[in-house]
Amino acid sequence: MSEPKKPASGTLTREGIEVQPLYTRNDVAELLSDETLPGVFPYVRGPHATMYTEKAWTIRQYAGFSSAAESNAFYKEALKGGQRGLSVAFDLPTHRGYDSDHPRVLGDVGKAGVAVDSVEDMLVLFAGIDLGEISVSMTMNGAVLPILAAFIVAAEESGVPSARLRGTIQNDILKEFMVRNTYIYPPEPSLRIVGDIIEYVSLKLPNFNSISISGYHMHEAGAPADLELAFTLADGLEYVRAALSKGLSVDSFAPQLSFFFAIGMDLFMEVAKLRAARKLWATELKRLFNPQDPRSLLLRTHCQTSGVSLASGDPLNNIVRTTIEALGAVLGGTQSLHTNAYDEAVSLPTDTAARIARNTQLILQHETGLTRTVDPLGGSYYVEALTEALLQRAKSVMEQIEAVGGMRAAVERGLPKQMIERAATERQARIDQGKELLVGVNCYRAPEQEPLAVRVIDNHALRKVQLERLSKLKRERNAADVLSALAALTEAARSSAQNLLELSVQAMRVRATVGEVSSALEQVFGRYQAHIPTVTGVYGTPLSKDPEWLSLVTRVKAFAARHGRQPRILVVKLGQDGHDRGARLIAAGLADLGFDVDVGPLFSTPAEAAAQAADNDVHVVGVSTQAGAHLTLVVDLMRELQLRGAGNIEVVCGGIIPEQDHAALIASGVRAILGPGTRVAESAKVILDALEAHAPPGVS
Amino acid sequence: MRSKLTLPRESVDVGPEEALGRSIAAGDRRALAQGVTLVESARPEDRARAARLLETVREREPPALRLAVTGTPGAGKSTLIDKLGALLIAEGQRIAVLAIDPTSQVTGGSILGDKTRMSGLLSDARAFIRPSPSGSAAGGVAERTREALRLCEAAGFDTVIIETLGVGQGEQAVRDIVDVCLVVLLAGAGDELTGIKRGLLEVGDLFVVNKADGAGEPEAQAARAMYESALGTLQGRPTQVLAVSALESTGLSELRRAIADRFAESVSSGELIRERSRQRALV
Repeated sequence: MSEPKKPASGTLTREGIEVQPLYTRNDVAELLSDETLPGVFPYVRGPHATMYTEKAWTIRQYAGFSSAAESNAFYKEALKGGQRGLSVAFDLPTHRGYDSDHPRVLGDVGKAGVAVDSVEDMLVLFAGIDLGEISVSMTMNGAVLPILAAFIVAAEESGVPSARLRGTIQNDILKEFMVRNTYIYPPEPSLRIVGDIIEYVSLKLPNFNSISISGYHMHEAGAPADLELAFTLADGLEYVRAALSKGLSVDSFAPQLSFFFAIGMDLFMEVAKLRAARKLWATELKRLFNPQDPRSLLLRTHCQTSGVSLASGDPLNNIVRTTIEALGAVLGGTQSLHTNAYDEAVSLPTDTAARIARNTQLILQHETGLTRTVDPLGGSYYVEALTEALLQRAKSVMEQIEAVGGMRAAVERGLPKQMIERAATERQARIDQGKELLVGVNCYRAPEQEPLAVRVIDNHALRKVQLERLSKLKRERNAADVLSALAALTEAARSSAQNLLELSVQAMRVRATVGEVSSALEQVFGRYQAHIPTVTGVYGTPLSKDPEWLSLVTRVKAFAARHGRQPRILVVKLGQDGHDRGARLIAAGLADLGFDVDVGPLFSTPAEAAAQAADNDVHVVGVSTQAGAHLTLVVDLMRELQLRGAGNIEVVCGGIIPEQDHAALIASGVRAILGPGTRVAESAKVILDALEAHAPPGVS
Repeated sequence: MRSKLTLPRESVDVGPEEALGRSIAAGDRRALAQGVTLVESARPEDRARAARLLETVREREPPALRLAVTGTPGAGKSTLIDKLGALLIAEGQRIAVLAIDPTSQVTGGSILGDKTRMSGLLSDARAFIRPSPSGSAAGGVAERTREALRLCEAAGFDTVIIETLGVGQGEQAVRDIVDVCLVVLLAGAGDELTGIKRGLLEVGDLFVVNKADGAGEPEAQAARAMYESALGTLQGRPTQVLAVSALESTGLSELRRAIADRFAESVSSGELIRERSRQRALV
């Protein structure tokens, strides 16, 4: 990123773009000449000529929870309610390649998505849904081979051949290393898997998108639009190279690449983002790979409204936010859209919240006249100028990435993650200082609020069902067939001569499980753990004169003098949830206040976290949880601390924890619960209160 | 493993430090953790308590291997310790790792994240890993680390590894409290043997060039030869440099042997005894 400029007369955005108070013809004189038609290179006005005038965007709501049977019932209701395509959310154990009976995943089964262990679960998930008619998007990156294979086999067994399957597999592993952390293997073999999938899909699933190159999670981790755009397209170029290295021609697979962006509250910036994305992708692809088929140049995208823009304070405000974001996606020309439910800052959506979210799109399609004309903002002085300015910013970031050897090299060095984290921490500091206003969060807060009704998943009952299904599967299958299919996979992982998806399809057909296929590959590839240093100094520096912050610094110093050391906290995520933005932010913020901060490894079990807390003799453990597994995992953590003679260590929890669960957590000994959007200073205050009240001075 | 919530105060004759020392010697991990906190404490009254605690713990027989691992940031020290530790555990050892992380001189806080690079050891009950903030004075680190090291020995760990900052501060002081000092180097970083690197080379007994894997292998081998010749000149005697890959676990058994040889050498020559007495005199 270049140095942010000081605005002369306009407003400087997070992207470093200076927005003027007024735009005129002069601002776009050089731009409008050859870019005025949708469906024509460089596609800035839309990938297709007719856009929504002929067919509106696909309403595709991301959902999945509990068992395959429960999710199936939910999907059928949604399709009846006007939804047009499915989008499957898998639970975290499935993402990370563990079967539901694996000891590391006790708390996570069926929590943040549906548990799928084998073809049998996949058959139940889509029972009574015609996979030849309804397109299915699957968010899967880590265990992408067994899951896509299970989908192919389940379709085949229900009479739909691969060639008729429509939909998308996310299959975007690079961004997992940057932000979402649901990877399994190291970057190099992971990219081989991506290449194998692109190859297989191009040959056998001609109507299926082999990848959904995703900026969404970068946006959610706090990336401004220029970084989201640049890193997403740079990831795309890396995938094109991975496929070319398998000997494919660019036109044989490029038309099956698709994209996925987040749409946040900066309305015109988000419109500009989609427009700039199409132009930049088309021009870069043409420049670097010169495809002959014009479809290879099209950037077709799914969008989802921003989850982090949702607040738990005054949650009905979220309906308004989501509506504005959905409008941005539509004005930007998205091909399909997910609208978030208003209660998602608290839990999985209830049926009511899910219906309102879906209706938001139905209202946009049927009541507003938005679909009458293509690209209604085309030619707007502001939007065109902003599109170009954003494109130039993104392009210069992409050049930096190319200079270090492309996205894989950059990801291995942790560069994109650190750039995103820096931007996110700066923004959080602005919000916490009240320089950026969020209604109901840091201003105009509602006086009293009723807790929302939330969806509750009975994790123990579900796990029992999955365990029974797994043992039945293992009893009834031909073990010798499974062993030889798995051996073939391990062998292919070593040699790279055979397509791993092809072999995964064979393994899943004979009823290997997701965990078995993943582990057959893990034997060769290993299981990866990323190590990215935490960015410190960014959060605290702008606050160095803030009175509230300074009073906390004073309290930390007093604590250190009284106890002979800095207050020490272990910040940890438990279970398979890899969303570490909040944990890393609080770690950096507390270190800037003067805490000694132990950062626990991702994917810790409660026993591992307790051992680390006890050995390091921390004063307090801060658990960050986003995926609904807190009741199981935190209660286990409390027990494990006691077992280690470390019951005197304080525990606080932060993240997405519904009001209904607070009492149980407090009863288990948790000292405080910090909701989403709690400022670092507030969190620090709560933690210091607890330590000052309960930690005896000195060494006990 | 025995555990407890508070220190036993069952007898008026046994003070809390003596009780803590006994619990540490009995293998109570939580007691060891609290003992380390005590010796690291900056409170004046804790210094006296720490001294009492250290008086109660006896020297280990046979002596534990005290190994420092140092090298420039990014050389892969933690990953190497993770793999080397696994090797020692496979031999039946119990190992302790004392990792020193930098304290911000501006805020006084620190990020102690090294455990995330030792995921193998972290989930193994035969390993004890304790990261510590460097605090404000480099010399003070060595003093507190030496005391923590003695507690780990008293708790029965066979090898105690100290991972240092590797930024040219306090390496010499840490050198003085260990038996063997391993320096982890990288290819492509040693063209100029000045400043930090020269300081590191002067404190080492053993040297490895890490990341000898994949495309980096030839470069690492070339760096190995370069360091070997530079060290020969610097130390005035032939010095072996090994090429290893912590990532792919290659060259580790050679390294293990070299460490054992170096340790055995100092035990048999009486150097270790002399060194330990000298170190004790530093108290």
